[in-house]
Amino acid sequence: MPCRLWPPINKEDYRGVWVYLEREGERLKDVGLELLGKARDLAQKLGGVEVAGVLVAGGEELAREAIYHGADKVVIIDNPDLKIYTPAEYAEAIARVVQKYRPEIFLIGATKRGRELAAYIANTLATGITADCTALEIDPKTRDLLQIRPTFGGTQLATIRTPQRRPQMASVRPGVFPKPPRDPSRTGEIIVEKVEVAKRRTRLVSIEKRLEKDVADLPPVESSDVVVAGGRGLGTAEGFKLLIELAKLLNGTVGASLMAVRAGWAPHTRQIGQTGKTIRPKLYIAVGISGAIQHLMGITEAKMIIAINPDPHAPIMENADYAVVGDYKQIIPLLIEELKRLKNQS
Amino acid sequence: MKIVVLTKAAVPLSSAIKIDPKTGTLVREGVPLTTNVWDRDAVEFALKLKDRYGGEVIALSMAPPSGIPALESLIGMGVDRAILASDRAFAGADTWATAHVLAKTIEKYVPDYDLVVAGEETIDSTTAHIGAQTASWLGVPYVYYVYDAEVKGRTLVVRRFLEDEGIDEVYEVDMPAVISVLKGSQIPREVKLSRKLNAREYIQIVSNKELGLDPECIGLRGSPTLVAGMAPATYPPRKKVVIQGVPSEVVKKLVEILKSEGVL
Ligand SMILES: Cc1cc2nc3c(=O)[nH]c(=O)nc-3n(C[C@H](O)[C@H](O)[C@H](O)COP(=O)(O)OP(=O)(O)OC[C@H]3O[C@@H](n4cnc5c(N)ncnc54)[C@H](O)[C@@H]3O)c2cc1C
Repeated sequence: MPCRLWPPINKEDYRGVWVYLEREGERLKDVGLELLGKARDLAQKLGGVEVAGVLVAGGEELAREAIYHGADKVVIIDNPDLKIYTPAEYAEAIARVVQKYRPEIFLIGATKRGRELAAYIANTLATGITADCTALEIDPKTRDLLQIRPTFGGTQLATIRTPQRRPQMASVRPGVFPKPPRDPSRTGEIIVEKVEVAKRRTRLVSIEKRLEKDVADLPPVESSDVVVAGGRGLGTAEGFKLLIELAKLLNGTVGASLMAVRAGWAPHTRQIGQTGKTIRPKLYIAVGISGAIQHLMGITEAKMIIAINPDPHAPIMENADYAVVGDYKQIIPLLIEELKRLKNQS
Repeated sequence: MKIVVLTKAAVPLSSAIKIDPKTGTLVREGVPLTTNVWDRDAVEFALKLKDRYGGEVIALSMAPPSGIPALESLIGMGVDRAILASDRAFAGADTWATAHVLAKTIEKYVPDYDLVVAGEETIDSTTAHIGAQTASWLGVPYVYYVYDAEVKGRTLVVRRFLEDEGIDEVYEVDMPAVISVLKGSQIPREVKLSRKLNAREYIQIVSNKELGLDPECIGLRGSPTLVAGMAPATYPPRKKVVIQGVPSEVVKKLVEILKSEGVL
């Protein structure tokens, strides 16, 4: 006899792979679209089931955008009260809709808001949830979702199942899965669901953008093909200026280790790793970064890694395609000079 | 203000981590445990509220008896008393089953709580689930990533920071409520040795005999998720070509590589 607090379910009643589509104002966050791509892949492995998205208080345009990125169906939760985000109310509304449609799998982007919602939704549905998965597979025998996540400081990879409950829930950080291409010829169904929520117990009073000075007028790390990142080994904020110059010459952007962020040389939005961004660039250049496991976790999907470090035994050197042994202060300026020369030639 | 702080006796270092080969869960018996670093922020936050508004701060943890020293040092920090929910039947719990025990312990032993404060996440499992799940069990509202709060009657006005959007938000939350404290936002006060010495007197240990929870709904059996496998993390193979020499030669090689890999 399973736990009596788990309402009995019939697993066969649960079909489809669903994704929470998080909004940022009037646009969809990329992570929801990335998850739609993964959802399509899982849906195919489950025998071609439906892929759907849930959107709270968003317009049809956004729903269509999700369809262009792989959704067969989008449910818009229509309640003017929910235009404004508050955690418990959002989580309850989302759980209500998921309950009604009974997907087999429900995925959530592990943004800060997503992390705030995910576990509450799971509890409301009396199901399990696995945080920050880096891979998702299907066990063809049981149709179980294999929820794979790094744990214990990134030293171990755990495979987690939810054998008895449905939906199976997982959260995934932004940037872990690639964003599927946009196909405006795709069509799908848009359903509007009126969902009432209980009396509000959380009220938003105000929002303020923190004025955070970025180091450079450069694209975000998660959307660049080339990322030049700096760590504590740069020694000074001046070091970052060199990296910015190099990044610009390579049409890329700059990133940072936690230590460089702590030193105040770059804002947290540029931090790469377990508690920062997961990135998948074509080229990652790590300058003055030791390559602690928490940092490596953010760059495993990089196609090529070049590390510049005087210490040949730094972990980053063991995990690089090209381990350049040396002082960045000597190498980077020369490299910049050479790249400029090449540019002028062409 | 009656404040319950959820704290986890966590494995402090990845080198101290041992996995039970049968269940794939963390071995916590016989491993030195210390309070999860981010929970110290939560404790500090609660103590500051008590300093301002008076009341009582109660630390709550679910752990084997090896979690007692962690609670002793929280008493040393100034926590009034602590409750340790400890029973073999709780072992192997996932976050659902853990939050279940925490919530039921609160309902039974601190029924008149005003606020539950959790750390943002733990360093050894980093799920950030427990705060939200405890709120769900208790049926109360919740807000994450809080770094400041003010009490206005039965309402808590909280300021929180969303790191990925770079914004601060202010919310009013009806109490009782659950909040999680933004990690790194507090400077935890020191542990007073004189207080820590007698700490054991202030720790109440409760087992499932007192809580009376259905054995099917706690521990490994009461966990909807199941660890099906554990493998050391490996990373995709890299070329590992070492480049050394005088800087001008190194740069020449780098440019060649950038060209051959199609970056230039
Ligand atoms: C729970 C948790 C989460 C974490 N999350 C993250 C995360 O998301 N991202 C992250 O980055 N870290 C994270 N960390 C921190 C991580 O463990 C490391 O402390 C951090 O990555 C180290 O930063 P670093 O490599 O810049 O500094 P260091 O480890 O100090 O390395 C500096 C390197 O610079 C080299 N160096 C020195 N001089 C020069 C020079 N002239 N030229 C070139 N190289 C030079 C040195 O040889 C050294 O290898 C986390 C830690 C914990 C506990």
